[in-house]
Amino acid sequence: MNLTSRIGRLALGALLAAAVSGCVAVPRKDLTKFVAAQPRSILVIPVVNNSVDLTAADYFLSTVPVPLAERGYYVFPVNLVKRLLEDDGLADASLVHQAAPDRLGNLFGADAILYIVIQKWDAKWILVSTQVTVEFEYTLRDAKTGTVLWEDKERMQYASDSGGGGLLGAIVSAAMAKAAPDYMPLAQRANWNALSYPGPGFPAGPYRADYKRDYQPGPP
Amino acid sequence: MMARLMALALLAAAATGCAPQRAYHWGRYDAALYQHYQNPAEREAWLTSLKTTLLEAQQEGRRVPPGLFAEYGYALLEEGSTREAVVYFEKEKATWPESAVLMEKMIRNAGQRPVKPAGATGPATRAETRP
Repeated sequence: MNLTSRIGRLALGALLAAAVSGCVAVPRKDLTKFVAAQPRSILVIPVVNNSVDLTAADYFLSTVPVPLAERGYYVFPVNLVKRLLEDDGLADASLVHQAAPDRLGNLFGADAILYIVIQKWDAKWILVSTQVTVEFEYTLRDAKTGTVLWEDKERMQYASDSGGGGLLGAIVSAAMAKAAPDYMPLAQRANWNALSYPGPGFPAGPYRADYKRDYQPGPP
Repeated sequence: MMARLMALALLAAAATGCAPQRAYHWGRYDAALYQHYQNPAEREAWLTSLKTTLLEAQQEGRRVPPGLFAEYGYALLEEGSTREAVVYFEKEKATWPESAVLMEKMIRNAGQRPVKPAGATGPATRAETRP
């Protein structure tokens, strides 16, 4: 009797564990606000940079339009937008992020605004290997109401290990990576990942064939 | 032999299938933008790259991505080619109705005030003078 209840308890534990690990599979985001807003155009404003690398913001900005437009939305010309804001005395991206969304929306005629903050863009050198880390926070707001329609956070990392060549080869390769750690592939991957759907991204826009067909509402 | 050829063909199909087909012809847009931010003073390279991408799209019959006509128009404006810039702002507006508000503003303002080119340290260059 005692033994069977014990087995029963064990089985229950195993079941619970399975259920818990099953739940790990991507909790679906609530996209009802996004879908209700039906944005057609997205304004990408200059990126706020909280990393120590001063060049990160502009470099990162260059990786955003391609994956975003390929999702089927009109994406405003990022360089033109950046230059117009600079001309208006908004060269500091954090000022743009603090501006009222409807003011920005009216200025450009945009439906939604994509705010991106770089939290990490750094390289660490540990002995002979280089570890590059990037971390971004994405927030899409309705340009009229300022409501958050979608948000995501991506963190990517790679470590260049000594690929043979002994210790000397490893030192040489680490020195080369130290000269120019390549952040761009990581930044690109982060964007594609953030915008993929089904996945962390949002449904297809009006310029895609699967517009209004790929959206799967989350569980009630 | 035949089987091997078919296997190769299948492999090739699988390989091309893996690369996601882009809806637009981007050319070197993102790489050129990156380089433009690296060396803002080299405006010629940025302008030429945009022009090439637009030409390629036309020749290959592929779609021009959103924003590209406008980026090219703005690069022309920075060089003082106001009238040519307006042509491209018009193209952006005609291709993408979502851009109408911004493009109308760009067209209205083109030539009214001088545009300071990227990477310029001196005073703004004069926009194209009237004929």
